[in-house]
Amino acid sequence: MQLESFQYDNKTVRNFALATIIWGVVGMTVGLWVALQLVFPTVLNLQPYFNFGRLRPLHTNAVIFAFVGNGIFMGVYYSLQRLLKTRMYSDTLSKIHFWGWQLIIVAAAITLPLGLTTSKEYAELEWPIDIAITIIWVVFGWNMFATIIKRRERHLYVAIWFYIATFVTVAVLHLVNSFELPISFFKSYSWYAGVQDALVQWWYGHNAVAFFLTTPYLGLMYYFMPKAANRPVFSYKLSIIHFWALIFLYIWAGPHHLLYTALPNWAQSIGIVFSFMLIFPSWGGMINGLLTLRGAWDRVREDVILKFMVVAVTAYGMSTFEGPMLSLKSINAVAHFTDWIIAHVHVGGLGWNGMLTFGILYWLIPRMYKTELYSKKLANIHFWLATLGILFYAIPMYWAGFQQAEMWKQFTESGQLKYQFLETVTYMAPFYAMRALGGVLYLSGAIIAMVNIFKTIGQGNLVENEAAEAPALEKTYTKHAGEHWHRWIERKPTPLLILSLVVILIGGMVEIIPTFLVKSNVPTIASVKPYTPLELQGRDIYVREGCYTCHSQMIRPFRSETERYGEYSKAGEFVYDHPFQWGSKRTGPDLAREGAGNLKKSNTWHFNHLEEPSAISTGSVMPSYAFLIENDLDTASTPVKINAMRTLGVPYDASFAAKANADLMAQAKEITASLKKDGIEVPANKEIIAVIAYLQRLGTDINKK
Amino acid sequence: MTKQNCYHCGADCEENIQVEDKFFCCEGCKMVYQLLDENGMCRYYDLSEMPGVSAKGKFASEKYNYLDSIAIQDQLIQFKLANQAHIVFYLPQIHCVSCVWLLENLHKLNPGILHSQTHFEKKEIKIVYDLQKISLKELVQLLAFVGYEPMIHLGGNEWLKKKKVNKKQLFKIGVAGFCFSNIMMLSFPDYLSTSIGDLGELRPFFVYLNLLLSIPVLLFSASGFFISAYTGLRQKWLNIDAPIALAILVTFSRSVYEIMTHTGGGYLDSMSGIVFFMLVGRWFQDKSYDSFSFDRDYTSFFPLGVTVMQEGKWVNTPLSTIEKGAHLLIRTDEMIAADAILLTDGALIDYSFVTGENAPIEVPKGSTVYAGGIQKGRSIEVEVLKTVGQSYITELWNSPLLNSTKNKEQSFVHPWSQYFTYVLFSIAFLSGLYWWLVNPSNILPAVTSVLIVACPCSLLLTVTFTYGNVLRYLGKSKLYCKNSSVLESFEKIDTIVFDKTGTLTNHEDTHLVYEGTTLTAQQEATIFAITNESLHPLSQLIAQYYAYKKLAAIKIDHIENFIGKGTRAISNGESIWIGSAKFLAENEIAIPAEAAGVLIAFNQLYLGCFSVNHVYRKGIQPMVTELKESGYEIHLLSGDHPTEKNNLVQILGATTPMLFEQKPNDKLAYIQHLQSQGHCVMMVGDGLNDAGALKKSDLGIAVTDQTHLFTPASDAILEGSQIANLHQFIAYAKKGKLIIVIIFILSIIYNLIGMYFATRAQLSPMVAAILMPLSSISIVALSALLSYLYSIRLLKKN
Amino acid sequence: MSVLILLIIISVFVAGGFLLAFLWSVKSGQMDDDYTPSVRMLFDDEVKSDK
Repeated sequence: MQLESFQYDNKTVRNFALATIIWGVVGMTVGLWVALQLVFPTVLNLQPYFNFGRLRPLHTNAVIFAFVGNGIFMGVYYSLQRLLKTRMYSDTLSKIHFWGWQLIIVAAAITLPLGLTTSKEYAELEWPIDIAITIIWVVFGWNMFATIIKRRERHLYVAIWFYIATFVTVAVLHLVNSFELPISFFKSYSWYAGVQDALVQWWYGHNAVAFFLTTPYLGLMYYFMPKAANRPVFSYKLSIIHFWALIFLYIWAGPHHLLYTALPNWAQSIGIVFSFMLIFPSWGGMINGLLTLRGAWDRVREDVILKFMVVAVTAYGMSTFEGPMLSLKSINAVAHFTDWIIAHVHVGGLGWNGMLTFGILYWLIPRMYKTELYSKKLANIHFWLATLGILFYAIPMYWAGFQQAEMWKQFTESGQLKYQFLETVTYMAPFYAMRALGGVLYLSGAIIAMVNIFKTIGQGNLVENEAAEAPALEKTYTKHAGEHWHRWIERKPTPLLILSLVVILIGGMVEIIPTFLVKSNVPTIASVKPYTPLELQGRDIYVREGCYTCHSQMIRPFRSETERYGEYSKAGEFVYDHPFQWGSKRTGPDLAREGAGNLKKSNTWHFNHLEEPSAISTGSVMPSYAFLIENDLDTASTPVKINAMRTLGVPYDASFAAKANADLMAQAKEITASLKKDGIEVPANKEIIAVIAYLQRLGTDINKK
Repeated sequence: MTKQNCYHCGADCEENIQVEDKFFCCEGCKMVYQLLDENGMCRYYDLSEMPGVSAKGKFASEKYNYLDSIAIQDQLIQFKLANQAHIVFYLPQIHCVSCVWLLENLHKLNPGILHSQTHFEKKEIKIVYDLQKISLKELVQLLAFVGYEPMIHLGGNEWLKKKKVNKKQLFKIGVAGFCFSNIMMLSFPDYLSTSIGDLGELRPFFVYLNLLLSIPVLLFSASGFFISAYTGLRQKWLNIDAPIALAILVTFSRSVYEIMTHTGGGYLDSMSGIVFFMLVGRWFQDKSYDSFSFDRDYTSFFPLGVTVMQEGKWVNTPLSTIEKGAHLLIRTDEMIAADAILLTDGALIDYSFVTGENAPIEVPKGSTVYAGGIQKGRSIEVEVLKTVGQSYITELWNSPLLNSTKNKEQSFVHPWSQYFTYVLFSIAFLSGLYWWLVNPSNILPAVTSVLIVACPCSLLLTVTFTYGNVLRYLGKSKLYCKNSSVLESFEKIDTIVFDKTGTLTNHEDTHLVYEGTTLTAQQEATIFAITNESLHPLSQLIAQYYAYKKLAAIKIDHIENFIGKGTRAISNGESIWIGSAKFLAENEIAIPAEAAGVLIAFNQLYLGCFSVNHVYRKGIQPMVTELKESGYEIHLLSGDHPTEKNNLVQILGATTPMLFEQKPNDKLAYIQHLQSQGHCVMMVGDGLNDAGALKKSDLGIAVTDQTHLFTPASDAILEGSQIANLHQFIAYAKKGKLIIVIIFILSIIYNLIGMYFATRAQLSPMVAAILMPLSSISIVALSALLSYLYSIRLLKKN
Repeated sequence: MSVLILLIIISVFVAGGFLLAFLWSVKSGQMDDDYTPSVRMLFDDEVKSDK
């Protein structure tokens, strides 16, 4: 054992850095686009591929997995090597990881506009890509743990713990939530139905935020902030407590996304309690981060990198305060489904993730290229653009959110709802415009950053392999023998974690098999029947077009909602919904009972409305779906889909698959007939017919006698 | 030239030592800088400004010769593997980021060093080095050279090994925390489900999983309470853990009963929760100051090795091996390791650490020198009279007076908890009786819930957290207590005994005072001329005393030195005597009784004397008056001559009992005497001469000027600069109990609420689950708040 | 809500995994020093430059 020379792999870090900035700009551009679509719906919705419903998932996936994802890997690959005083375990794995991840992103960028989606938010990608993600994730983990094994520094710095947590938890979440039954290479059905699907989805949805957007970035904060400030973190002890507290609380905060839904009360309450408790570790972390700069505030004024980081940590503090608040029932009752939530996530996304990422980029690139940042001035301009952008984005959205909720809930003296839903939509127009302006500011900042970074790269040259030297890890010796098991653990941290992961998965699988064979105890409602083949096809189109991005299917038990949409939703109504379509946002009205009660509209209305929404309801921001009139319905898939549903426990009888298409046609004919009466000639085998069938079916069962 | 600060250590630069644009205060600093510069290690200076430790005081290379002795190496080296050795040093100088960086990059200075890792808070460094490439001596010399001289002492490494983190405690907390959070999560459904149907098939699953999770809490995390309760009962007395253990047991068994009989979900969440909180509390209370050791005995002060004459040459051997009659060599600034007879001249021995005497005293050849003294003059040779163990100073530790351990009676917590328990039992009994009359089916629920609710865990929480806080705030203001029971000792103190040298005065800075008839410029000039000739340290001091005055040069006609006595000189017809009282007396010069130190006589006529004084620390007087006002009895025990009495009277007041020329044993005896009069004594002292007293006293506070300096066994360590605030510290420490009382009243209220439900046999798990965290958290918060408020009121920041 | 059983089992397993990790970190002395690592991470182990 003596001084060993080795080299840090900067190339992979550089690649991830470039990917981060490029995908970042792309993702934000798409974001801006969808924002503008709400301002100029008719102009910017280029059907079918670039309709809002298909682009919005593209935006979310791009910024989360492409921008933040690459940002994480950039930071992890840089800090891990240096914290452990060793090169990454395998350059090959690093390569596979990098290119694999970019490939997945490209695949997402192609499939989402094509309407290939599972409609589960932030997990929209179809099953082949899910598998690819799993593989690449394992590669990442393998590379990371192997590096940890061959480390030259015995102590695992707190950042590394955050990375490990990220890996383990995201792996588990991804596997559980992506449990789907493929029916073709491009289409699959979620194994879970209705309430269960919703619960799993938001258990994932929340923890995706927790363990993809938060824990890894906390790790990065604990590494790059002290580095940039060149002073140790305020309290290392606190950071350790921060980690363990966070780990034990986060996993259960999920259900707060489903308050007032058909999810059992107590499950909701668990979500509330745990979400609320989260505020303590989160703020512990934020304070720890900010106090790291105590006595260096003068430097913060000059050093743009620190400025970015300060804003990032502050934003973290704000959104981790707002989060628990939003999970309180009374506040959630107001905020849920409104643009308030959009503001909330963007404070987190633009502020915490965005600003920290840029701060790290500005710190990292010059170092790896052994040069100075091309222009501090530009960086400062970027900083102000970004900060203003966040404000211009958040403030109008918060305002709009309050107004929206207010208008939805107001009644006249006579006890009538004060506003038509459409009025609330048109009211939003100016706010959407301002929000878009905020987006413009932030995006232009990001573009300046890209230029600045490329210029910096241009003037320096990359130290692909940075030479370093450190003494080998001194061997541990134990004076007293015995205590074999933990001596073993002592030497093998990785097997331990992998083992525990494996155990988790086995445990999970063992559970899954019976769970989905036994009939779940969701109170079933006799009158609720499976969808007809046509409705099923229509539903899949509804999913494909991402209608859930603007329309919820979940009426909460408030007078304001039951008045507007009809009787509140029951868990039993969704038992055949693979996947669930509750949605999380009401840019448009709720559709849970679109086919029933006072909401019931004629087939013709639906036909015209889908063809050109603004023609029917002036001021509507909904894109046109005229292409549904052109597209032929793919009836070949009907039997397969029926059988798939049967596998998932939907009670069609065995012979049904065979005569499914006949049934489908019969129902289609009825609709075309009714359209014909209003002088609309359209073949029965067009997609629009299926969609109309589905919409007309929504919410009807429960009233059936 | 403008005033420069040393680029290395930041000290002012008198001389003009310069490398390029950088200034240095001394050659030492310059050499270190050059060494680092050669090895491209100047990052050391970027990490923090002027990080160095002054290399002043040329360090004697032969000082570490003893490290060549294999026997000594084996004592120090922790672990040897082939030709690799692992060793841990205590480096008190570690103070900044740069220190860590330099020490962990030692391998750049010497390839023989394979790996070095520092522990900042313990101020330790763990080094792995190659025995072939670098010897232990060279290693230590390198460390010393760059300014981090390790503290190596007889048995010095023993206490390094002692310090270990209490891992078991953390295990228990971890397990409890994990089980608690999951049990809580699984218990919610029971509380929140509007109807059982809500849960349906899930309920049993939840409940049994809870049960499963609670078992490790009971068997592992809570085991400590059961054990201590059991041992307590074995010794026929009820400590606080007894009722707690009972409560835990009852809670668990009742929960099991409810689960098995499907009558309810039980209170497992409350149980694991409270266990978790209590464990955290205990952990929080065990605030340990890693870099100090509170229990050192004399071995920590003695050198590890000595130079002894064997077969006509000097060899290094471990101190432990030397026998009576051994022939030792003591170099300048080395400690005399054992009582011995002086074989050579030139012994000038500083006993201040041993006896508290001020000036180094000159010892003539043939007389006895005592262990613990430090040779200030040139190297001397001695013959050992007694082995280290039996030496005068070390015998203190064998003194029977010390064997009687401090009569630390148990913490007041335990009696309290006892009453508590009795009350609780009677309530349980009464409610049981009541229900037996009214509705027997409620007996069990009522009684058990009483026992569950009213466990004195809130008391335990209060005490642990409050003491934890108080300890931390005291530590912030530089009073480091050994443990929380020390805080309780503050309560009882009614008498405070101070040592003088090093406690009221400052070891570091001494000054010379002249007492007697004022001297003429002529006389001063003469004295300067004479003393300037001699190399005797005292003469040197006197010479410096006059150096600043530009005195006329005086011609000395004749000068004659009497070793160990003084000097006689003749200058323009006058005969001048400078030397000890004895020396002048021998030459028939009349001298007053109080004259001590270096006496001056011109032509047989005594003029006055120079004495070396340690400077008194600032703020002693107000502190003492404060203490007196708050009713403490003040005593002074000084090992020094009474020359200082007048000054001390001014500071401590005339009424204060003062004893001088106290030998360590006398101090010890005096403390015991006070205690026998029923006083509860706090001893404030430093150095070996107080060690006995500190140990004997009810509360021994060791004063030190660099916290890293070795301090004798004590209950608390106080930084010298802070001694003026002693009264504040005492006041604050005593507030601890008040805080506990206040909070305890609060927790009683919680208990009463719980009791209300319990006695009516209505304690639902829900109520318990709300009361538990509510009380625990509010207690912790309040304790933190109060201790903070008092700390700003009582501890002035400086 | 049978899926809850699945979610809970998984959550508990994940938490359990981290508990083991915690125990390991204590056992292997990861927690022995809770200050120096925060300083150590500031250093880059640049190659010794002989000038």
